[in-house]
Amino acid sequence: MMLQRNGASPTSRLAGLCLLLLAPLTPAVAADPETVASPIRAFTAEDLADGQRLFRVHCARCHGMLGEGGEGPNLKRATLRHAPDDEALFEVINEGIRGTGMPGTFGPNDDELWRVAGYVRSLGRLPPEDMPGDPAAGRIVYETAGGCAACHITRGEGRGVGPELSDVGQRRNLEYLRRSLTNPDADHPMLSGWMTGRVNAFLTVRVVSPEGEYEGLRVNEDEFSIQLRDLGGAIHSFDKRELLNLERAFGHSLMPGYETMLTGAQVDDLVSYLMSLKGEES
Amino acid sequence: MRLIGALFLSLLATWVSAAAVPYERLVAAGADGNWLTYSGSYRSERFLALDQVNRDNVGRLKVLWAYQMQPTDIAGAGLQETTPLVVDGIMYLTESPSSVSALDARTGRLLWHWAPELPEEVLHIGFPKVNRGVAILNDTLYVGTLDARLFALDAGTGAVRWETRVADNAVGFSLTLSPLALDGQIIVGVSGAEAGVRAFVDSYDAATGKRLWRTWTVPAPGEPGSETWGGESWQTGGGSTWLTGSFDPDLDTLYWMTGNPAPDWNGDLRPGDNLFTCSILALDPATGAMKWHFQFTPHDTHDWDANQIPVLVDGEFEGKPRKLVAVANRNAFYYLLDRETGEFLLGTPYSKQTWAAGLDGTGRPIVLPDTDPTEEGTLVWPSLQGAINWFSPSYNPDSGRLFIPNRRMGAIYYKADAEYEPGQPFLGGGEQALSGDDASGAVLAIDVMTGRQLWEFPLKAPPWSGVMATAGGLVFASSLEGSFFALDETTGRSLWNFNTGAHIRTNPMGFAVDGAQRIAITGGNTLFVFGLQ
Repeated sequence: MMLQRNGASPTSRLAGLCLLLLAPLTPAVAADPETVASPIRAFTAEDLADGQRLFRVHCARCHGMLGEGGEGPNLKRATLRHAPDDEALFEVINEGIRGTGMPGTFGPNDDELWRVAGYVRSLGRLPPEDMPGDPAAGRIVYETAGGCAACHITRGEGRGVGPELSDVGQRRNLEYLRRSLTNPDADHPMLSGWMTGRVNAFLTVRVVSPEGEYEGLRVNEDEFSIQLRDLGGAIHSFDKRELLNLERAFGHSLMPGYETMLTGAQVDDLVSYLMSLKGEES
Repeated sequence: MRLIGALFLSLLATWVSAAAVPYERLVAAGADGNWLTYSGSYRSERFLALDQVNRDNVGRLKVLWAYQMQPTDIAGAGLQETTPLVVDGIMYLTESPSSVSALDARTGRLLWHWAPELPEEVLHIGFPKVNRGVAILNDTLYVGTLDARLFALDAGTGAVRWETRVADNAVGFSLTLSPLALDGQIIVGVSGAEAGVRAFVDSYDAATGKRLWRTWTVPAPGEPGSETWGGESWQTGGGSTWLTGSFDPDLDTLYWMTGNPAPDWNGDLRPGDNLFTCSILALDPATGAMKWHFQFTPHDTHDWDANQIPVLVDGEFEGKPRKLVAVANRNAFYYLLDRETGEFLLGTPYSKQTWAAGLDGTGRPIVLPDTDPTEEGTLVWPSLQGAINWFSPSYNPDSGRLFIPNRRMGAIYYKADAEYEPGQPFLGGGEQALSGDDASGAVLAIDVMTGRQLWEFPLKAPPWSGVMATAGGLVFASSLEGSFFALDETTGRSLWNFNTGAHIRTNPMGFAVDGAQRIAITGGNTLFVFGLQ
């Protein structure tokens, strides 16, 4: 069997001499930083202050200036799901958490990463927030006056349009949850990836296509197409070049504001219920 | 018997002369359906001089074959930035982190695969574990590795002809670029400024691997330019040379770009202009001596490496025929320089920038106050990733249009202390990019002689991939989200698009087999080759 070249070169080649040379793949072990015994126990107040300074530069944008959370989870907790020990915490800060919005850290060296980790651990020793209301009463508000299951899934129940809430108490703080109920336009959950950056995760989009007008939450978008999920949960896919209009309603949430629909006590109870939702760790 | 003997000998001869790319073929590269060097030709136009695929039929373009990169156990590997070469029906590409594969360009079937033995821990401070491609000269491929070695491989089988250690990875040096093959010599540059290396451009004898010369991009005390470095900061000065340059055989000049000074965001430790960082160097290929230099960003504090593709352009500038080099720089300015003398001819922003009032008559930026990084953070456009980065622009010499893949993103720059420790990040701060929905991108078309923008095609996210213009009146481009598409080069309208299903982080290239035109791009870990059939 002769493999023919194209016109440029007249030579041809014997198939038998085309050796399939598959060099063995290098069985290199993952190039992780060396596992060093955690220096956190021996940190001084100065080390933690340095860690706080680094935290503010590299972490506060998502985790809040005080670690109270925002786009990223609240870190003022004794246990962190992805960091059962100090070495795991170092890894999380260094390499990120695959499949989530937590990127690795590019700048700090190993010593600096330990100091950030030490500061994060110190946040877990802060007293937890006091619940303003009764979680059990809040569950009843969730299921009745709030009507939340129409758009949220919690512990397997409900319809998924807005974010799933089964572990929202793990990820958010009281102030964020209260704001998302009384002024949902103010905060938008974000998705983060180190390549795609911070993207509004539940962005309201309104399109006008030749078939009609649609409003929904953006599921994905690139230069050629956009996919929406409407309030009924149905997915619509559009070629952007065929759209007559496309409006991205930044700063506007499809979630209703509950300030006038619920009493102050009901909101207190509801946020306390939501803070009790910690996924499998409840 | 004699006939059989003659047949055997002729077959032996063809076996020996498997790949044949003498220097003369590289000089003439560009018009015969082969892709012989990283940027398509020594002029680095990344222009495909084939018109079989054109505005009228590109709508019928379809995938003819795909090749999925070999899986690897190496943590953090898998980002593909390769530009394959195609030589007489065989495709040579590199795979993350530093492997080489040869494929039958007709069917995509693997002919051979080579992977270097990399150490368990390889430093890659400031960049992912990538490789941008091989160079070919005669019948030998040249590839750089993440641990800063240069290998010469037999193009026919992947067998190692020689290897040499370019630098010490333990202090942060790596090779991620596609080497450049000149006459009997291989030019390489290094990465590592984020680890505070002192960088250089090297030339190696193509036959033996012996180093022929080394040109440091940061001068030692007493050398020209050393007065632009305060104290001992030159020792950790940076100035990485991590992207393939251009070559003018008539002027016998090699054009190479340099990166940021170290530490990136804290310029207090290195007072002065920090020559020759963030510059273009014109070198004598015989000796490495500097003929001239031009610095785009003196005393850079935003990590605006000038490691972009220097496109060699010939044409009339203000009525006179001139030999030029066109650079869309990371700092958001577009530059035209005379490539014989280094004279600054033109400089104009092509993307949003908030750090300079403009350029003076010598091309030096007029830096605005309060644009340096600070402890509290300073908002500046563009981000450290730049208005463009390593990926390629493309130039159509027939239409005079330069196509630029443009990133549009600002960032908050932070300044912090930096203490040098070998093999550790030496950065002096950080960046919070205003990314996601606060950022975007575009493919721009500009008039190469004036910098005037002709059209733009908007992109959802700032791109990490390059473009390629063709003689068929098309510009091929791709997006971070994974679309590979063709634009009409006159209007910028999209004529065809394909979703590869993963991030595209590399440049398109094209070639021909059996007279049929092909276009290739890698999305994620898959190389797609398109054609009309």
